[in-house]
Amino acid sequence: MEQGIALPGQPPVVAAPVKKGPRGEVFIYANWCKGCNICVEFCPPKVLAMGPEEDHPRIVAPEKCTACHFCDTHCPDLAIVVRKLD
Amino acid sequence: MSNQDILDAATLKQDDALIPQSGWFERSETLQKLRKNKKFPTIWCSGCGIGIVMGALIRAIDHLGLDNDKVALVAGIGCTARMPVYMDFNTLHTTHGRALAFATGLKIARPDMKVIAIMGDGDALAIGGNHFIHAARRNMGITALVVNNAIYGMTGGQYSPTTPLGGRATTAPYGNVEPPFPICDLAIAAGASYVSRSTVYHALELDKFLAEAIAKEGFSVVEAVSYCHTTFGRFNKLGTAADMLRSLKDNSIPRSALERLTPEERAANTKIVRGNFVNVDRPQYTQVYSNLVTRVQAGER
Repeated sequence: MEQGIALPGQPPVVAAPVKKGPRGEVFIYANWCKGCNICVEFCPPKVLAMGPEEDHPRIVAPEKCTACHFCDTHCPDLAIVVRKLD
Repeated sequence: MSNQDILDAATLKQDDALIPQSGWFERSETLQKLRKNKKFPTIWCSGCGIGIVMGALIRAIDHLGLDNDKVALVAGIGCTARMPVYMDFNTLHTTHGRALAFATGLKIARPDMKVIAIMGDGDALAIGGNHFIHAARRNMGITALVVNNAIYGMTGGQYSPTTPLGGRATTAPYGNVEPPFPICDLAIAAGASYVSRSTVYHALELDKFLAEAIAKEGFSVVEAVSYCHTTFGRFNKLGTAADMLRSLKDNSIPRSALERLTPEERAANTKIVRGNFVNVDRPQYTQVYSNLVTRVQAGER
């Protein structure tokens, strides 16, 4: 179906805007993580989040990762690996 | 509570992130250089900057493409000196402050090896202060990585030779009255051939300096400014690890930016100056010594 063409009685199909720039994939190995919150506080696009009761961060917005490698270079426990996607 | 309930509770607590994803270890070049049979996580406190320095050191060695068997890591005692335990190189864990003394012996016995002495600020400048200046004077082919966290962390937060004036510590509850030791200035004055300083916030810059220092023939010093949030940060009310990491970003200035300031502003600067200070070529001790051996064996008097 072509974009922007509305069928009778249905809303037009609009694809999600494709983000520009490099994309990344984050892996957290929670067995090595001590929950210091450095990655969560410094992540520029806020990919990671950690609640007050949690002991390691969660990946809440994986599509926002721009492979800036801040979290894996600054993880004191080497518990994060970021892979740049093509 | 029946056995089934306990099993169900255990299943519910199971976290996806606790299961290593297939091949996650192989995804990172850094993790390949870790010692696989050691217990992880590391012994350092949650958020300690020493782990960031460890990552930078591994990346620097990886960047140079050195063989693991051609690198020797020598460490003394302290939080920082636990670093070689986790890395897959030749390692030597020595007595307090004597890392450079053992490294000197190792370098003379095996001049082909890249010897890296990993020390904390107390290890390098208080207990091993003499070894530090004499290794620099002789221009031994050693890379001295000094992680400066301004306190003796492992023994409970006593003030060290790099605690800033007025900083509170276990043994300085009303503020430190001793002026701190400037590590880079000391190394330059003692005759080191490569001196650089960076902070753990600028981890990629630290990679670059460490790679340059390891590739350098003579005595090279890299000061990695870190933080101790569990003792120094707590006594001085500096916040969490993330707050102290952010303060390293705000309170540091590159050397090129400092040189653009007026002389008055430069004199009033209290920020940590990052950058390379000295990079000169001087005759390295083991080369001078092997030349001497060749001359004497040829019958020269």
